[in-house]
Amino acid sequence: MTTLIIIDQAPYGSWEGREALDMAFSLAAFDQPVSLLFCGPGVNWLRKGQDAAGVQQKSVEKNLAAAPIFGVEALLADRAACEQYGLDQNSLLDQVTLADPGPELTARFDHVAFAG
Amino acid sequence: MKNRSPEQKETPAPAGVFALVITGAPYSSQAPGTALNFARAALAANKRIERVFLYGDGVHLASGLSAPPADELNLSKAWSDFLMENRIPAVACIASALRRGLINESEMKRYELPSSNLRTPYEIAGLGEWVDSVSSQTRVLYFHRGG
Repeated sequence: MTTLIIIDQAPYGSWEGREALDMAFSLAAFDQPVSLLFCGPGVNWLRKGQDAAGVQQKSVEKNLAAAPIFGVEALLADRAACEQYGLDQNSLLDQVTLADPGPELTARFDHVAFAG
Repeated sequence: MKNRSPEQKETPAPAGVFALVITGAPYSSQAPGTALNFARAALAANKRIERVFLYGDGVHLASGLSAPPADELNLSKAWSDFLMENRIPAVACIASALRRGLINESEMKRYELPSSNLRTPYEIAGLGEWVDSVSSQTRVLYFHRGG
């Protein structure tokens, strides 16, 4: 049972993305295959060099860097959204793979869940 | 999270078995109301609800201290009554719950809080309950704040 969790909201504006990340880590902890797809403003999760101290939050960058260690299979980024937000491969975290969201992508997974 | 393995089912859940995940809060989203309508319709059609999982803002549904005006639908009570009448297990995610002030007796003691407020029949548990539904091929439906 492979799962894709989609985060389509910017980091720090709400807790929904973080709670979706917890869902992914939880599946991985139970050895269930899981990947994450960031699309729309959600691609900003994948930006290198984040500093969230100004909003009294922890940077999500470290959490994401740990994703492969926890067993999350892939961090996928919506290619078009990355262009829209001025993100290229150099400004994205190293483990990120660019992808084109759509039926072909989601069909590769048995279960697809969105962040709240 | 790691101290409990999800129950591994040898065969997929039969068609018509659902797990519901509610992430939208009562009164600021339609999610709990829509989910309740779905759940009632599913039972009326002889389908089964395996469990209800509250996550994110959805945990507010399990508050025993919500008191809407008497001429409005009391969503928390309506859900609670429905779950008990139909003996459907319901879980509020512990991490979401603690952040949002939804507390059972044991968490009240652990964190030395002045009160607890978890409604019957909800339990507070980890994401393992949700993983269990996902990994058993049960059809998992999500009710977010947009719907």
